[in-house]
Amino acid sequence: MAMVVALYGGLVLAPADYQQKDAFRMVYVHAPTAWLSLMIYTTMAVAAAVGLVWRMKVAHAAAAACAPIGAWFTVAALGTGMLWGKPMWGAYWVWDPRLTAELVLLFLYFGYMGLRAGIEDPVKADKASAMLAVVGVVNVPIIKFSVEWWNSLHQTATVMQLGKPKMDGDMLWPLLLMLLGFALYFITVLLIRLRAELLRRERNASWVREVLT
Amino acid sequence: MNEFLEMGGYGKYLWPAFALGFGVVVLNLVLALNSLATAKQDARRRMEMKL
Repeated sequence: MAMVVALYGGLVLAPADYQQKDAFRMVYVHAPTAWLSLMIYTTMAVAAAVGLVWRMKVAHAAAAACAPIGAWFTVAALGTGMLWGKPMWGAYWVWDPRLTAELVLLFLYFGYMGLRAGIEDPVKADKASAMLAVVGVVNVPIIKFSVEWWNSLHQTATVMQLGKPKMDGDMLWPLLLMLLGFALYFITVLLIRLRAELLRRERNASWVREVLT
Repeated sequence: MNEFLEMGGYGKYLWPAFALGFGVVVLNLVLALNSLATAKQDARRRMEMKL
């Protein structure tokens, strides 16, 4: 675990020294957080679907562990985007398709967590919240393609497209490295949260005793 | 140094954004470790109660 964290530190902290100026640098924090907010939701929905179909408790636990992390990164994506929007678009917030859909994503995370917290029976909570997560996944492609389907203020994809990215190599590599760092970071945090979630759920199981002693 | 901090006039938007982004990164690690520590503590307490 320490190794993954160290690796993350090297990958993510290193590009922070990058020599470019101006507002575009926002991309190094906005894009990875926004990208994570989508990736975490997708992970959560897949885990929830696996839990629903095969009745795997671990899958439900993984989905539950995703939610708070994803919600935080949605907040970060929205917040950093607002701080970029002010100097670039002249306003912190506009009701743009992508921005609105990302806000819906935040509410989906909140709804998921609220639903889990509101149902006492863990099996029922797993089922109900998993349904919400799976249905809500429709929002992910909406966010991804919103910039192409509608006339959006938000710029279109520069990196994740077929063929060559529209970004210069010098600007691109720190971003890709940053994305990799964020992905590894998410896996690390997810595994920590999953351990906690499983300990909480399986507190009567005999393996818990073995792990703790 | 000052020039670097100013970021061509965008510094006042950039630095809060980086603070927010990486603040969330640090916060999530801390929250996750906290929840693991709490879960371990609870499990230990239950174990002792049963003994």
